Order: sequence, then C-alpha cells, then structure tokens
Amino acid sequence: MVDSSYGQESSANKSISTSPEIDGLLAGVGYAIRPSDLPHVAERLEKLDSAIIAAAAAGLPPEFLCSDAVHYNPSDLAAWVDSMSMLTSLSSPPIHPAPAPWPVQIYAPAPLSTPTVDLLAPEDAGINLVHLLMSCADSIHRDDHPSASKLIHEMQILLPRVGTAFGIGKVAAYFIDALDRRLRPRPSPPAEDEILYHYFYESSPYLRFAHLTANQAILESFNGLDRVHVIDLNLKHGLQWPALIQALALRPGGPPFIRLTGFGPPEICEVGRRLADFARSVKVPFAFTRLDEIQPNLLRVEPGETVAVNSVLQLHQFLSDPGSPGPIDSVLSWVKALRPRIVTVVEQEADHNRPGFLDRFTEALFYYSTVFDSLESAAAGAGPEVYLQKEICNIVCCDGEERVERHEPLASWRARFGRAGLWPVPHGSSAFRQASMLLTLSSGEGYSIEEVEGCLTLSWHGRAVISASAWHCGDGVDAPPLAGNIFFNGYSGSDRRE
Amino acid sequence: MAGGNEVNVNESRMVVPLNTFVLISNFKIAYNMLRRPDGSFDRHLAEFLDRKVQANASPVNGVVSFDHILDRQTNLLARIYCPAPDPADVELPQLVAIYELQKAPSPNPFPVIIFFHGGSFAHSTSSSAIYDTLCRRLVTLCGGAVVISIDYRRSPEYRFPCAYDDGWTALKWASCQPWLRSGKDAKLRVFLAGDSSGGNIAHHVAVRAVHSGINISGNILLNPLFGGNKRTESELKLDGKYFVALQDRDWYWRAFLPEGADRDHPACNPFGPNGVELEGLPFPKTLLVVASLDLTQDWQLAYAEGLKKAGHEVQLLYREQATIGFYFLPNTEHYHEVMKEIKSFVRSDL
Repeated sequence: MVDSSYGQESSANKSISTSPEIDGLLAGVGYAIRPSDLPHVAERLEKLDSAIIAAAAAGLPPEFLCSDAVHYNPSDLAAWVDSMSMLTSLSSPPIHPAPAPWPVQIYAPAPLSTPTVDLLAPEDAGINLVHLLMSCADSIHRDDHPSASKLIHEMQILLPRVGTAFGIGKVAAYFIDALDRRLRPRPSPPAEDEILYHYFYESSPYLRFAHLTANQAILESFNGLDRVHVIDLNLKHGLQWPALIQALALRPGGPPFIRLTGFGPPEICEVGRRLADFARSVKVPFAFTRLDEIQPNLLRVEPGETVAVNSVLQLHQFLSDPGSPGPIDSVLSWVKALRPRIVTVVEQEADHNRPGFLDRFTEALFYYSTVFDSLESAAAGAGPEVYLQKEICNIVCCDGEERVERHEPLASWRARFGRAGLWPVPHGSSAFRQASMLLTLSSGEGYSIEEVEGCLTLSWHGRAVISASAWHCGDGVDAPPLAGNIFFNGYSGSDRRE
Repeated sequence: MAGGNEVNVNESRMVVPLNTFVLISNFKIAYNMLRRPDGSFDRHLAEFLDRKVQANASPVNGVVSFDHILDRQTNLLARIYCPAPDPADVELPQLVAIYELQKAPSPNPFPVIIFFHGGSFAHSTSSSAIYDTLCRRLVTLCGGAVVISIDYRRSPEYRFPCAYDDGWTALKWASCQPWLRSGKDAKLRVFLAGDSSGGNIAHHVAVRAVHSGINISGNILLNPLFGGNKRTESELKLDGKYFVALQDRDWYWRAFLPEGADRDHPACNPFGPNGVELEGLPFPKTLLVVASLDLTQDWQLAYAEGLKKAGHEVQLLYREQATIGFYFLPNTEHYHEVMKEIKSFVRSDL
C-alpha cells in the first residue's frame, strides 16, 4: 500500500535523524527499509530467486544478470529490489516509487580523522612528536604564545630524530612550519601553482576521481539532450573537460551543442581556447565563456539549454565560521535559480571548519597524514606535498576571510543542500566501476571506493579522503534519469569488462 | 538441482524472521550477479553493493575501532576493536589507536580474538557492516575482548593459500604485540574465529600455529566452509532449499582452490584423503557451530569427527532449524544461545 505522506517526506530528504520508521537491525547492517516494506520486498526477492532458477534451468542467464545493468543506492533495499524486478520484467511496476526515509546516520557517527598506518609506527620519537604538536596547538588555542614558541623549538629539535623523509615526521614538518608561520607570519615563496597542480593530479587519484565521477553524472544527466551548458565554478586548468567533451562526441546520435562557462581569472581564457580547439578536433559544437568570480549575474542561460553546475574542491571556500552568515547560502540560491539538471560536487571529506583551533588542528593533522601517506605510495616526491602545504597553512595560520580551506564533511553538505532545496542524485554502479578501474590501472594498493547513500568516496586504507556527490534542484525540473548503459569511457578505454 | 523450488523458497521464509530472510535473500540474489560462469567475478559491482562502515575511534556502546596495517609488504589491513579507553587517558578519538598500540601488557587477563569474516573466500571485507557489527558485539560479549578482523586477500583474484598466509601473518603480528598480552604471565590469550570461509581459514591458521609453537587458546568456527568431492546426504537433501545451492558452493571452491584441484584438496577437506595428521599436536579446543539447515553440515560434522579422532577437544553446537547467517541479527534463540556459548568458551580459561 502506498502511503502518500511517506512519499512527500522521503522526497524531501531532509536531515532527519536515524529514523524510527526503519528496521533497526537491518539498519545496523547497512540497509534502510521500513518494516512495512519487508513483506513486499521478501516477495520480490522470492520471485527474483525463482526467476534466476528458472532461467538457469532453461540455460539462459536472466536479463538482470547482464553486467550492463546499473545499480543505485543498494542501501535502499526496497528500491533496489524493485529495479531488479523491473529489469526481469516481473509483472507489476514498483509499488513504492518513493525511497525509504533516509536516516542520515545509518551507521554510527564516525570521527573523520581516525589515524592510519605510519602514524602508528611504534617509534617513541614519533609519538612524542604527535603529543608535542597537540600541546602546541593547545597553547595557541589558549593564546599562550610563549609556550607555543617553546614547543615549536622543541619539535624542531626532535624532528631530525624522527626523520622527515616519510611518515609522521614528514607531515609533522609541514604542521610545525605552519604553526611557526602562525606565530611569526612571513610571506610564502611564490609557488608555481599550475605545476604543483599537475604534480598532484598525476601522483594521486584524487583529482582524476573527482573529474571522472562528476563527468559520469553529468554525462548521464545529459542523455537525450541537444543543448547543454556546463558551469564550472572554478575552471582552474580545465583538466576535467576534455574527457567529457570526448564522451559526448562519441555518444550515439552525436554530440549536443556544449557551452562551457568557467569562473576564474583572466588567464583561464587560454584554457578556454585550448578546450575549444579540442572540441573542434572531435567535431563537437562548443562555446566557452569566462566569468569573474564576482560577477555571476552576467551568466546567461539560453532557453532550451540544460544546465549542469560543477564544483570540484571549491565550494568550501564560500563557507564561513559556523553560525555566522557567509556567501554559501546566496551561492546555493543562485545555483538553484539556474534550475540545473545536475549539480556535481566534490569535496574533501574532512572537518576543517570547526571554530576551535585545537579541534581544527587535530582534524587537519590526521587528515593530511592520511593523504601524505597515500602520496608516499606513489613515490611522488615533494611536488604534491607542496601543493597541499598551501591548504595546511591556510587552515592553521589563517582566520576570518583569509581562511578559505573550510572543508566540511559530506553529512554537513547534505544538510546544507537539503536546506537549499537540492535533492540527491545517486552515483550508480557504472560510476563506481569506472572509478574502481581508474584505481586499478593507475594507483597503488590501499585506495578504495565506497558507496554511501548514493555518494562515492575515495578512501586510503579505509579512511575517506574525498567524496563526490550529485544534486538536482527539484521544483519541476526533472531529475536526471537513472539511466543505464551510459558509460563514460574517458579513462577505461572501450572495453568495459576488466 | 532439487525440484519443487517454489515450495522450498517459501520454506526458507518460514524458518527465519522476516528481516533475516530479506537480508540473506538479498545477499543470495546479489551474489548471483557477481559470479560469472567462466569463473571470473565482478569485483567492482561486489564492492559497490557491499554495505560498509568506517572504523570509529569514538566510543559506540563502549567499543572503539581503528584500521591498522599489519604488514606493509602485502598491505594487510585489519580492523581492531577494543573496549573504549578511559576518557582521562585518551582525550581525542584520533589518539585512541596510538594509545592502545603503545600499551604495556595488562595485569588483568583479556582474550584476543582474531576474526576472519565469511563470504566463501570471495565476498565481504573487514569493513562490511554485517561483520563490523558482529565484531563490535564480540568485544562486549566476551567481557572486553580485543577483536582483530582480518582483511584477507580474496578469491578468485587470490587463490589458496593467500587467505591462509594472511591469517598466519596476522597471528605472527599479534604474537609480537606487547599490548595484546595480559595476565600475571603476560601471555597472548588468542582465539581464532570465523564464519563460513573464515572458519575454514581459522582452522588452517591453527594448524600452522601448532606446527610453529604459537599457542592458541581456542578456535571458534561458525558454519565453517568445508567440502569434498563426494556429494553428501545433507548436500543433496538441502540443495537450493535454504538460501544456498550446491552449484554455487562448487563455484566458490573452484575460485579458491588451485587450478585443477578438486574438492578433496586438504584446504577444502582437511580430514579427507589428502588431509594432514593432527594427532599428537597441541591443536586448540574448538567450538563448532553447525546449522541444521546448512547444506554443508555433513562436512562440518565430519570435521568434528576428524578432530575427535585425532584426540582434540570439540564442543559441538548443533542448532536445529537454524540456517546460515543466523548470527548476523540478534533476533533468534539461535543467536542468543550461541553467543552465550561463545562467551563461556572464551572466558573459561582466563
């Protein structure tokens, strides 16, 4: 029986706490399902089972055994079972189109910075260093600068004993330096931003994961559409877009007309030109516009255009101290007013926007130790670390408007998007598969991709580092279809099977 | 293939609570999609569908967990579960792991359980929600045990003996950790535990241990995965009836065992024609849990017989009308009674 009030509640996807409406035992093992749905789901599972057996007996694999089927939201068991049933053409259409109310925390709330690996090497000197770092951060938190200075001095003496070539010593060196800069501000040497960005891009899968998952979601959302407009909130060096342009070039029925609006400084016009040249080379009609960050009102959306808004590791810059108003709300309103078919967001999975210095420092220390550890496995050299050093210094040294690296975890973003009227579009198994293959082909062991409530996270040794999500604005703009068989081949080549 | 499947499908629904039925049927359907007839496995889809949880160093029901690399060379990861430390000793969750790993041996004895998750050697990880939940419960159940859940390499990508090697690596690691020692004699009081393939791994790691002089306090095997070439009565009778089909079992053995091996390989059939002698060795006592509706029960019972014949202690818990996976949800007598027995078994020698 459909309960229409459930339909409204669940489509709102508001930040409800662990819902009393779902089966608690199944929630404890990762599934959100209402007790009232259990009989229906059980019946569907029985029918699916019979269908598998019958097909096997007849020597045929059931259609849904085809690996091209795309799966979404495995935690929403009722919806998954219904979609499987539809694929096998089992009688009726799904009875429950609305998903079970999403408990925000199916799993116990986890602190984000559970340390891993080298931080736990048994050398006493390394442990001492961690304790000194904590004490120093605590001193700064209490505005006791003399003690903090003393501790910095102690750590600088201890550091060579620990060694800075790898592990805790290496990440500690950056944090000690940042603490020192906070106490004694000095200009940083100019950094070759583009080169560092490329080092980071090549030596770890984080940015490629970000681009791939966002592009897959955008590609799926553009299915069947002729005029599309991608708005990149921070174009940077444009590394994300050739792959999407290529995928659209190759799609059956031919490419749409693509407009790309990139936000950024005047230098990005060169990036726009290169992308236009590339689009021309693959015969994709393409136009590029640059906008300054401060002039979003000049953005034009043509009638008949479908809009995708893309933000990679950048939305957090619009946040402010928790509790005080910041640009984020107006940014999200502006995004929503564009009536985008999809909004792709990739953010660091970290809690670096806490008001208390000690909290922020601790979170950052353990987060970046995880990231540095992952870079070590790539023998990446100092380039990507220097790229990250800017983030570390910003988090540790800066306050107020200067502090832009205000990373917040996915759970916070979910709540914020919900309040802004943006509803989740789940990443499916096709995006998951592509991302996993990216890791297999190009990265060290130790990375993994997880699917949680429709979002994908890239983790290092079990610790989530970066998360990718997608949203749509509801409001009469159709949600992008959960379309199967649309594969984004930018990274995997033409053969989908491993 | 057994006939009359429609009736039998309803039977499995009758013998377990509804949420258990949904959980295990869901696994059955999903797993079907992952096994390919050519022996390959859709690993990406498997990882996508597997419901996982992160480790959590903030106490939840008095238990904390953290992931730790046991061996850098093989990147062997384990999830370690401990009773939550005193907040006076550890102020921040981020420091819990450091604190625990640095501890000196404790004067108060506590058990250490090295846990191998199930999944027929191919499915699940130590971060799978079903196993994370189970391991957390074991910490509390056993009065403050440390549980170490091993993320062993899985088939078909990694065949025999990789999973056993990983288990052995884990045991060797544990035997070198001062913080895992306890009691007046500062001893490692370690139990090897596992369900399904994990039970199989526990047995084989115990065999290696006894040959190497590492003392194991006990083995806890929940519906352990054993088999053989012969088709037993329970296999024929129960084929396809309670969530498990024989041909699926065969697939998993083909994926795990060396190419060309059959099911009388000693990994699969430790007391079969190619088995190793265990008589005279200090093999640990075993708590063996067998579900009467598990089609592999004859092999599990034969395993118990094999241990007894070799002079080793076996405590057999034969659960009437229990199916595979009853220990995932605490909603049956089977669950509660088996947990009670595990608790006694683990705490009896402390």
